[in-house]
Amino acid sequence: MALRRVAYYKGCLASLSAKELDSSTQALAPQVGLELVELQAVTCCGAGDIHEAEPDYYLHLNARILAYAEAAGCDTLLTICNVCTLNLRQANWQLKNDDALRQRVSDNLEHVGVPPYSGNVEVRHLLWEIAEGEGYELLKAAAHKGLKGLKVAPFYGCQILRPSKLLGFEDPDRPWSLERIIEACGGEAIDYPAKIKCCGFPIIAAREETALGELIQPIEQAKEAGADALVTPCPLCHLSLDAWQSKLKAATGKDFQMPILHLSQLVGVAAGLEESELKFKRHVVPVTPVLEKLEV
Amino acid sequence: MSTNIAPAPGSSTIELALKIWRYDAETGEKELKRYEVEAPDWVTLLDVLDIIKDQQDGTLAYRKSCRMMICGSCGMRMDGAAVLACKTRMYDIAKSGHEPVISPMGNLPVLKDLVVNMDPFWGKIRSVKPWLDPGYDEVAEKERIVSQQQMNVIHKEALCIMCGCCVSECNSMESDPEFLGPAALAKGMRFVGDARDHDDVQRLNKYNEEHGIWDCTRCYFCNERCPKGVDPRDAIAKLGAESIKQGIDHDMGAKHAKWFVRSAMTTGWLREEELIPKTQGYISAIRQAKFALGLIKHGKVRPVPVPHVAERVGEARALYNLVKEQGRDGALGIVQGEHALGRIEFTEEAGARENAPEIQPGVEPPPAEG
Ligand code: SF4
Ligand code: SF4
Ligand code: SF4
Ligand code: SF4
Ligand code: FES
Repeated sequence: MALRRVAYYKGCLASLSAKELDSSTQALAPQVGLELVELQAVTCCGAGDIHEAEPDYYLHLNARILAYAEAAGCDTLLTICNVCTLNLRQANWQLKNDDALRQRVSDNLEHVGVPPYSGNVEVRHLLWEIAEGEGYELLKAAAHKGLKGLKVAPFYGCQILRPSKLLGFEDPDRPWSLERIIEACGGEAIDYPAKIKCCGFPIIAAREETALGELIQPIEQAKEAGADALVTPCPLCHLSLDAWQSKLKAATGKDFQMPILHLSQLVGVAAGLEESELKFKRHVVPVTPVLEKLEV
Repeated sequence: MSTNIAPAPGSSTIELALKIWRYDAETGEKELKRYEVEAPDWVTLLDVLDIIKDQQDGTLAYRKSCRMMICGSCGMRMDGAAVLACKTRMYDIAKSGHEPVISPMGNLPVLKDLVVNMDPFWGKIRSVKPWLDPGYDEVAEKERIVSQQQMNVIHKEALCIMCGCCVSECNSMESDPEFLGPAALAKGMRFVGDARDHDDVQRLNKYNEEHGIWDCTRCYFCNERCPKGVDPRDAIAKLGAESIKQGIDHDMGAKHAKWFVRSAMTTGWLREEELIPKTQGYISAIRQAKFALGLIKHGKVRPVPVPHVAERVGEARALYNLVKEQGRDGALGIVQGEHALGRIEFTEEAGARENAPEIQPGVEPPPAEG
């Protein structure tokens, strides 16, 4: 089977603190029909932060990423982070639909030695690639080891769902993609209200108390609904859900010990990837109870 | 008032059922009641409530006035999502057989049934000084001309009808009820961005306080819910950009945002291990030390900052300097994208629609809705 070449944008977190997301994605990609073309010269997308601090610069940084994807001969830029997905899609939409704006930005790119951007790249999250179509069929075949009915709580996070006019993949109030993937891998998807809410990450440093008030909701609800683990398509959600559980414990006395999996790890376990690729040891909350249940 | 709504010539009727959370704040009684209605096929949720009140249960309480999406009275939740009842057509829902649950808006105290107490909402609107301060008392002899281009900056914010739908699901406000919230901050931007207003520095200082712009957790529920396309989250980002442009950057949130810019220019990638100290200051960084050690142990943060540098990062720095010379600082950097963003319509699965009718913010009057 011929693999589809896509430009791979891993973003800051998968390059640094969430290396396990990068290694599991790289290992999984060929099994779901993707050849990842890693972009070497790209920078951070700036998240909502550069968009808020220097919006014109935000647009140029994202245009630069898109331009390098185009220069690599790819029509798809694959993302593995919600925030990257929204930022790149938002910039891409502006550049594609406003010729004057794209011309100015593209001229600026060329001026500093970046390839121009003509607007022919689509930004797609890995989640969307494997939730339907050919990717979904391949996923079903790849997930041969199954999940033995593991109870998995899907956590979408905000910026893969809203604003839906920019993301546009599924109904932001009734998403289905993660559930479909969990079931296809042989797990049981747990339903709970906070699955579409915010984990508090963007303000976790500046407004810790408010952020913890948000963070506790999905973890507590998933626990009450009997989940063995939570899965998320975003490394920022992963960081707050996993690493800040100790802060929740300090603030509320509740010790949830809820294992948090990246999407690529959940599918990766079902597809039989090795620990060297899944790197569960890098998690703060141990994933051991899940692995014991799955007997891996 | 009569609500024997007759079907229009050529239209048919539909049968639908819905459940409404009934609530009496005085007795504390709460009940989910089911109603069945036969109605013309063009009815809105508000029409259905009118029929129920008129024909089945006169005690049902809800707010309404204009019935045409301009007064902002009829905000309520349908299946947990805030909507304007008068903007919500029931045909597809009735045909699908789904029975929606109707409840009052969130983040505001419930008075009776679907009626919420809007006092906290108005209090926050008032606190952003929602009027123009032109900086003079005497009216000049000649009129002051404001160009369409200048007004484009606040085109979206000026569309607000103060219905509260954006506040209903605001995730930060759920966690911090004192957060000024999307409607009040969008109102703030409506004046900060107004070329005639001369109070923007004081305004920005006020919105930079605790419970202001840096409390927003970017959940984007406000943009999703707003029935008027105000996009309050974008308005908050514009306020952030204007604040930083004016040098109002004392808040940790602003420092955090500025640090991203520095990272992108210098190494290309975020330097997470430095993020916490940069934003919280070194004293609280020591307080954070135990937590940080935990993160280091799992490789979440590296103990000694080893810059991870992107290839050709010099380009990112050169771009920064070039962009700064072109002077699209502050809110303008966001406003410039609205021309294109105004053209998106959401279609499930198909992605954003490419051939939607063109709406240029401020250049033409927005098309009538509904
Ligand atoms: S979303 Fe954040 S972590 Fe991911 S690339 Fe953008 S700035 Fe970096
Ligand atoms: S918005 Fe102005 S013109 Fe329109 S109904 Fe209200 S008062 Fe009248
Ligand atoms: S911003 Fe939109 S949702 Fe919020 S009060 Fe104004 S019109 Fe209503
Ligand atoms: S984006 Fe900010 S203002 Fe808007 S609903 Fe979320 S937290 Fe509230
Ligand atoms: S009744 Fe006025 S906005 Fe709905």
